[in-house]
Amino acid sequence: MQRMNLQQGRPFANGYSSRRVDTVVGTRTESKTQVRKSASPNFVSTNGTRVGRPTSPSRDRLIYVLTCLVGHHVEVHVKNGSIISGIFHATNADGDFEIVLKMAQVIKDGSVRERKSDHDSIKKPQPMVIPARELVQVLAKDVSLSDEFTPGQSCEKRKDLMIDSVISHSHHLETERELAPWMPGEDDPECPELENIFDGTFDRKWDQFETNEALFGVKSTFNEELYTTKLERGPQMRDLEKIALKIAREIEGEETQDLHLAEERGFSYHDDFNLDEESRYSAVRREVNGSGLRENENSDMEAYGSGIIAGSLGLATSGSCSDSLSKKNGNEAQASCNETQASSTSSSVVEEACLYTLADKGLGLSSVDVSSELKSDCIARSSSLEDEIRLDDNQIKDQGGKSERMAIQDSQTSDDVNTSIKSEEVSISAPLYDPSSSGQGNIITESSDSPVRGKLPAASESVDPPIRQGSSTSSSEYAHAESNRPFLSPSTSCGSLSSEKSTLNPNAKEFKLNPNAKSFTPSSSVRLHAAIPDGSFYQASNVNAVQHMHGLPMGVGVGPSFSHQPVFYNPQAAQIQSPQAYINPNGPVYGQQMIVGQHPQFYYVQSYPPQEMPHKGRKF
Amino acid sequence: MEGGGGEELAVGCVLSLRTTLGDEIEGQIVAYDRPSNILVIQEGSSNAGARRNIRLLKANYIQDFTYLKKAEDPLDLNKCYIDLAGLQAREEASLRQAEIEAERIGVGVTSEAQSLFDALSKTLPVRWDKTVIVVMNEVRVSIPYLPENVTGGTPAANDRVKKVLEFERKRLQARGPGQF
Repeated sequence: MQRMNLQQGRPFANGYSSRRVDTVVGTRTESKTQVRKSASPNFVSTNGTRVGRPTSPSRDRLIYVLTCLVGHHVEVHVKNGSIISGIFHATNADGDFEIVLKMAQVIKDGSVRERKSDHDSIKKPQPMVIPARELVQVLAKDVSLSDEFTPGQSCEKRKDLMIDSVISHSHHLETERELAPWMPGEDDPECPELENIFDGTFDRKWDQFETNEALFGVKSTFNEELYTTKLERGPQMRDLEKIALKIAREIEGEETQDLHLAEERGFSYHDDFNLDEESRYSAVRREVNGSGLRENENSDMEAYGSGIIAGSLGLATSGSCSDSLSKKNGNEAQASCNETQASSTSSSVVEEACLYTLADKGLGLSSVDVSSELKSDCIARSSSLEDEIRLDDNQIKDQGGKSERMAIQDSQTSDDVNTSIKSEEVSISAPLYDPSSSGQGNIITESSDSPVRGKLPAASESVDPPIRQGSSTSSSEYAHAESNRPFLSPSTSCGSLSSEKSTLNPNAKEFKLNPNAKSFTPSSSVRLHAAIPDGSFYQASNVNAVQHMHGLPMGVGVGPSFSHQPVFYNPQAAQIQSPQAYINPNGPVYGQQMIVGQHPQFYYVQSYPPQEMPHKGRKF
Repeated sequence: MEGGGGEELAVGCVLSLRTTLGDEIEGQIVAYDRPSNILVIQEGSSNAGARRNIRLLKANYIQDFTYLKKAEDPLDLNKCYIDLAGLQAREEASLRQAEIEAERIGVGVTSEAQSLFDALSKTLPVRWDKTVIVVMNEVRVSIPYLPENVTGGTPAANDRVKKVLEFERKRLQARGPGQF
């Protein structure tokens, strides 16, 4: 409740001015603040001239109602039958309640003949004062009397939500005919008052089937148990009911990541993000698991905010981004990356922003590099993000040149960070990368079991950590295709995101995180997913120069180059049933295959001397 | 509550009344101020918090009324707050809106002209220039707003305005000559 300073105590006599509102409203406010029941002394004192006027609660009510009408569109009926329509501006509360309207027009002239002739002009709206003696009635539609006190919010809400009728309100001039309210005719069936139908409490005694049968003779064959679980109605019914209610309450009180559910349950979830109305209610819901292809989603970055929360992501991303970018010529990419990072609150957004930016740039060298970098980082993150990223990566990779891979390697080799990033992913237990490790580590551990599998990009380039499998993403390390996988991805996946699904192994078992897995120090470009299932996996020493992925056209000396690195071949490959089916011959090792013990091949690069990156030859 | 004549005009009562001007009103009394003889009635259904139509009626214009029933006070005195800032904002917004709408109305033009203007404005940007309709800032349509009176603009725009004008005229005529 606001108090207005009374500008003048003089009651309004004639003419109107903006001060009037102050006076009138001010006095009303004053009176309102006082006890309404009794005469308000303030009312009199503030307005010195108000001498002989009795103040009474009824007058206060009248004044209150009039105040609520300020700014409202009203119609004033006057003595001669005319109707004047305008916006209520003020009234003479101390006097006899003259009405002051702004933008008023005579819409129905009672003094002259009933209808205007064709050639009558329409007058311009102007402020009008209707003296009290002319006044018959004031009619205001759709006024809410006691709900005024939602300060600010209701106003803003009204402004934000422009409904159609408001927008097209100005076009209401074409009325084809006079509208009359519908009145039920004699032969209309009796209908209950529609507006009151829900007013009464739930009437348990009314049985719709009985009524139907009585009215229309319809025999019902409705059997509730056909549609729902059969209830055991017995002595325990009460208890069962209580238990059920309790469970229902628990469920409804659960925390959820889903924005809509959260809203229903009353959790103010979206305060953390700057989600506008569109993302909250209208934007297309992207699945958190990233089961779809997302190619050009620059505009929907925010949509990911809801499901993707990887706080540390931004940190890691920035780390990798900056590192990789710095090496590259992609100044712009870097800039964009940095900016996006800086601006975005949600790491996922950053990530995607980076990726998208890169993708949009047409994949310069830097972009690829960044993407690969990002990928490593990202992949460890939320699965959904990974999915997206992978997709983007694929795109980028497809477009990028192979030479970039080389570049990547170079940078990576030189860049400690890069290496560490990769290694970080590899081993959960030993985050190698300091800056990002925290982030990554966090992410890794907290990554939910999103169905990574869905996301394995067919093309996964080197970076693709297909390993994801639906299980913990954390330890997935993907072998970086890089040197080994020369841009196969491009050829392989060819950005065929659609094919990614086909590479997933539906029968793959869930990936189980093995915290005791050995720490992985991959070469910059190589990322391996640590299949950690039952711990039997890593055998670091088993480096058989596995030319990894079968089918991978390791063209450029990929295979052999690996000799340096302790490529880790999963000895348990034999046990794997179907992993092959899903390995994309051209693709990099997928994380998916990191099924417990099932991964037929994946590279585990233990120590990867940077210089050894076989990529060298790969200058596509 | 002190009110007018006895119980009938007490706050909260639901009345059905008829005014000397022929209006029939049914609603609940919100307030009655004796000195000014103004009766405040709210119409509408009885669920609270909804928006209702409010009438302020001078009681001396009541021809007759019927007392229907007694209900409780529609105003909850504990919740009667006024948000002045909100009111002023609302007023400003309404005024702005009204001004915009007023812009669309020509001064000193016939209602037929106004109808044409409105019809044109649905698809084309139009504005008034005294009594001339200016379309897209190029094409001008002057009295008596016949297709011959369309001037200016590129030939394409001109033709378009002509077509729309003819069409609207036909439509307005079809709706009824007495419509205006």
